[in-house]
Amino acid sequence: MDLRKLKKLIDLVEESGIAELEVTEGEERVRITRVTANNQMIYAHPAPTQVQVPAAAPTAPAGTAAPAVPAIPEGEPVKSPMVGTFYRSPSPGAKAFVEVGSQVNAGDTLCIIEAMKLLNEIEAERSGVIKAILIENGQPVEYGETLFVIG
Amino acid sequence: MNCFDVLRQLSAEHFISGEALASQLGVSRSLIWQALQQAEHYGIEVHSIRGRGYRLSRPLIWLDEATIARHLGSQARFFDLKLFDSTGSTNTELLAAAGKGAPSGMVYAAEWQTAGRGRRGRQWRGELGASLMFSLLWRFDCGAAQLSGLSLAVGIALARAVERHGATQARLKWPNDLIAGTQKLAGILIEVQGDALGPNAAVIGIGLNINLSQQARTALDQPITDMQAQGGETNRNVLLAGILAELADILPAFESGGFKPLVAEWERRHAWHHQPVTILHSNGEQSEGVALGITDDGALRVSGAQGEFRLFAGDVSLRRKDSN
Repeated sequence: MDLRKLKKLIDLVEESGIAELEVTEGEERVRITRVTANNQMIYAHPAPTQVQVPAAAPTAPAGTAAPAVPAIPEGEPVKSPMVGTFYRSPSPGAKAFVEVGSQVNAGDTLCIIEAMKLLNEIEAERSGVIKAILIENGQPVEYGETLFVIG
Repeated sequence: MNCFDVLRQLSAEHFISGEALASQLGVSRSLIWQALQQAEHYGIEVHSIRGRGYRLSRPLIWLDEATIARHLGSQARFFDLKLFDSTGSTNTELLAAAGKGAPSGMVYAAEWQTAGRGRRGRQWRGELGASLMFSLLWRFDCGAAQLSGLSLAVGIALARAVERHGATQARLKWPNDLIAGTQKLAGILIEVQGDALGPNAAVIGIGLNINLSQQARTALDQPITDMQAQGGETNRNVLLAGILAELADILPAFESGGFKPLVAEWERRHAWHHQPVTILHSNGEQSEGVALGITDDGALRVSGAQGEFRLFAGDVSLRRKDSN
């Protein structure tokens, strides 16, 4: 990849304010990561040539650096009270108790955890909106594992 | 006219005329006839001979509150019994009642379930009078995590009861099926509602095969047996009282002492203790090993190729290697 192209990509990252950009062209892969607002890193793969390009004067204000994308939305986690298998619906083929975006009230059933043929209905402890469902239907869960996030 | 009301008047010993039935129930003979047209739906064969009347092809012993209470004796004080002719599912009905404040010890038993449930929606099939189906509500002060093992404790109570009533070959299959040889005799499904930290309401559903017909057996997708084939008691009232009595004994003990004191008895009643087993996981994978026993919280300990592992959850079946 020629330097002019790299420069253009760096400028693109600068201007857009995005945290990271990866471009693959044939065998070459370039990833540009914005480490701080004043600094940019370029990693080139698979070639061992790792270049660090000190950025010129920042064009974007320091505050606009994109934060790391959170894996889990903010809210209150609903944790599994036991080891078991996670089920989203009362029986196979039935409608799920909740979906992302569902409004729930305290006491509403969110899912079932089965362990040793004992089906535990897990209820919402507070009202809110389901922000995330972190386990897939039918998958095992551990004690204390976060199942849902309610915001 | 309710089919059950007419069937209750019939006997397997002698014929009763349509006229006699009509006058007993205060309806017309044609209504009697119409009601009995539904009998087939419940797996009941009614012999009808012109001029003589109606007779059942096999005896039917109906659930009866007074008989159950008599057999419970002093332990009747723990329970509050409600009998249904037909209901969707005693577990579902009782769960709903629990949500509205039904007391601990409430028992729902049904002659017929239109939506009987097994684990994960598997249907528990019935045949009028040929199986015992009931649910018991029991309230626990402890949290959901402490209820781990309840499933196996209930299995022990059921095993004790059927053994006491003549089915001495019945053994437990993890987590809590009751089998004789490789045939299923009874199943348990427990549903828990409540707070992670307690209190919790557990609805314990039990289905016990009593005397199923050949047709009902072949309609099922697994080999089954029943109390009659095991040479045991077949009066459902006696059996219901017997199982409730064992539950009244084990549930308070479980709540105060946990499952640990019951581990040795469970292992003694285990069908395949120290035998080679094949485990079918819900994702379709199989693993083989030897069933070593169970942990203090009811998980099955298996010695496999990769060392010892524990099974907690759910959709796992055990099979004897030689039955594959």
